[in-house]
Amino acid sequence: MSKHLISTISTAALISVLAFLPALRGQTGPPTSVDDIKVDTWNSRPLHKPAYAGIKPATAPRRDLSGIWDATGDAAGGAAPGVQNTGAHEYPAVLPGNNNPPGGEPDESKIPRHLPYSSLGEATLKAHKPTGMGVRSVPAVLGNDPLNVCDPPGFPRMELYEFAILQIVQNADQVMLLNQFFRTWRTIWTDGRGLPKNPEPRFYGYSVGKWLDDYTFVVETVGLDERTWIDNAGRPHSSELRVEERFHRVDHDNMELTVTINDPKMYTEPWMALNKFPLRLQPRSFDIREMYCVPSETAQYNQDIGDPSVAPESK
Amino acid sequence: MRNKLGTVSFLAVSFVAAALPLFAHHGNASYDTEKTVTVKGVVTDYIWANPHVFLKVDAKDDSGNTLHWMIEAQNIIAQSELGWTNVMFKPGDQVVIDVTPVRNGRPIGRFRGRIVINGQEFKPLPR
Repeated sequence: MSKHLISTISTAALISVLAFLPALRGQTGPPTSVDDIKVDTWNSRPLHKPAYAGIKPATAPRRDLSGIWDATGDAAGGAAPGVQNTGAHEYPAVLPGNNNPPGGEPDESKIPRHLPYSSLGEATLKAHKPTGMGVRSVPAVLGNDPLNVCDPPGFPRMELYEFAILQIVQNADQVMLLNQFFRTWRTIWTDGRGLPKNPEPRFYGYSVGKWLDDYTFVVETVGLDERTWIDNAGRPHSSELRVEERFHRVDHDNMELTVTINDPKMYTEPWMALNKFPLRLQPRSFDIREMYCVPSETAQYNQDIGDPSVAPESK
Repeated sequence: MRNKLGTVSFLAVSFVAAALPLFAHHGNASYDTEKTVTVKGVVTDYIWANPHVFLKVDAKDDSGNTLHWMIEAQNIIAQSELGWTNVMFKPGDQVVIDVTPVRNGRPIGRFRGRIVINGQEFKPLPR
């Protein structure tokens, strides 16, 4: 009788301990899903490696890119990979061994990885005066980067400069990309339509997408406005530019983005601006901070800092 | 001219390991990246804006004249990542700030690391 009582009590005790285990694990153990990680409720900052180091990501859902994705990645003390202020991630306009060149070079002949410019491409590049961190950079007010007057970055530059947070939303007919920088969005049609013939140029072009397999979504974009630059180093494009994006969902928390530039007028062959560039899923509660280029703020910056910093010497 | 550019590149290479900014919307072209100036003074204005957050500080030079310093940081997202906020500085704050100055001698610079606000050193968030 008493033996039975002891075993009942032991069982009850064991059950209560087991019942509490998940709660205990939640408090003290590593997170098991990215959604277990707390972020700032408003204006959230993206998570970096230490925050999600213990997570073993689940398998990716089929044919689903939705979520809030971080492209800033793990900077390891340097610039966040998504910022790309010396140009597209795969072709930075830097000097060998120096990712922070002083600028002022007449061309890109000294950079480690050369782009296959056509003669028109090379000439158009020279007409573009970038003001970022690349080898050809000039002081802010001497440049002609369309972003310096807050013109739209356009596509593909939205993925090749200040690429930070990208929210993806899907419905039956579209995949929507909502991008933090400039608060821009793109519609990728998945309703079976083809790309337009002789389209009127648009800053973000015309995009259609299809699933190559359950985890790989391929997007083709045409009809891009020639006034935009491809990246922060002033890489040019013509209206014949065709861009392929390949979103490959590796697992639940990780995606890779490959962007291929194909513009036969400016380049003698296609080139990959991003090659399996990592995007990291953020918690569902992540709140995207706004990021605008504000013309009046830019004017104030130029008046207070940009113009006087290149004015003649003064003592 | 080519020689001069070559020298500048070489010096920049040798300096890159030191405390250069994390990244910048605008490049180094107008900055003397080999120099550090310590600005000690009083905040007169703080502009939390894009493409650049910047701070105005009144500081005395060696002769006792007041210089109106303009010190620029990067954009709002980049600064938030480092733990900066829109209320981090306020007019009247006593500050000590290390800056990379512009080449033309004007009191304009870029934050390059040390920031002390009313005696407290500001520690950026780790990345």
